[in-house]
Amino acid sequence: MTTAIDVFIAFCVLSGSLLVLTSALAMFRAKDALSRINVFSPATGLGMPLVIVGCYVYLLQREGFSLYHLFIGLVGFASLIIVSSIASNTLSRATLLSGSPVHRYTRPNRLAYARGEDPHVDGPAAMHEPDEAQVGDEAQVGDEPRGDDPAGN
Amino acid sequence: MVNPLRLIGYFLWMGKEIVTGTVDVIVALFTPRGYSSPMIVQLPLRCTTDLEITMFASSITITPGTLVAAIAASDGADDPPTLFVHVLFAGSEDEAMTDLYDMERRLLTAMRGKPPRPALEVFGRDEA
Repeated sequence: MTTAIDVFIAFCVLSGSLLVLTSALAMFRAKDALSRINVFSPATGLGMPLVIVGCYVYLLQREGFSLYHLFIGLVGFASLIIVSSIASNTLSRATLLSGSPVHRYTRPNRLAYARGEDPHVDGPAAMHEPDEAQVGDEAQVGDEPRGDDPAGN
Repeated sequence: MVNPLRLIGYFLWMGKEIVTGTVDVIVALFTPRGYSSPMIVQLPLRCTTDLEITMFASSITITPGTLVAAIAASDGADDPPTLFVHVLFAGSEDEAMTDLYDMERRLLTAMRGKPPRPALEVFGRDEA
């Protein structure tokens, strides 16, 4: 029984750390800032929670059940999931608003072209060739889905 | 009305999605040009309340391979709130949007107790 628990702890901690390493390598491979934030999710969404689970089971095995440890473990687990997703949202918004270019082959890029206007995806409807598709600012993003409505008051 | 059992089911399903997304990221790491076909799709939402939109945006971002890049607020009766989602591993724009709408349907079914109207019916997709 002890061996099985040891194997479980080792599996959690080692696979969690390997996932963090994998995410780091994936961030090297990805070419633009948005993709880098995107491929970091395995570390924060799965890797670090696995390490926490492994550590909690280790403490459980070594020191017995403690409400305090359970509380700390649950808070850490939930915080990692919630905080990492909100932090990634904030990072990606900040990346776009700072004007960082997106990958050249981002097709379609609906932040730059509305549906039906992307020359690469929807045919040659647009005027110019976007060598580096630069995304618009936030005001343009808000207007983009329908455009302005001259009939409205 | 929030359905707690369905919400737990949704969180379990999210766990499965996180694992499959992680596998995608790992496979792409060993594939030539694995991260070289990203797309940013425009996703009009059926979510209406702040809580639903926040939960959906967080669910998208926590899933490896998808990331919310920008949010456009609803500005009246006509324009729904819209997410711009950066998608790394999808064959086409329609495929990516089908997956995302499936996630939204599961979330809204858990949050409201009944499934929302199909996205095709609500938005029509006539602008394509």
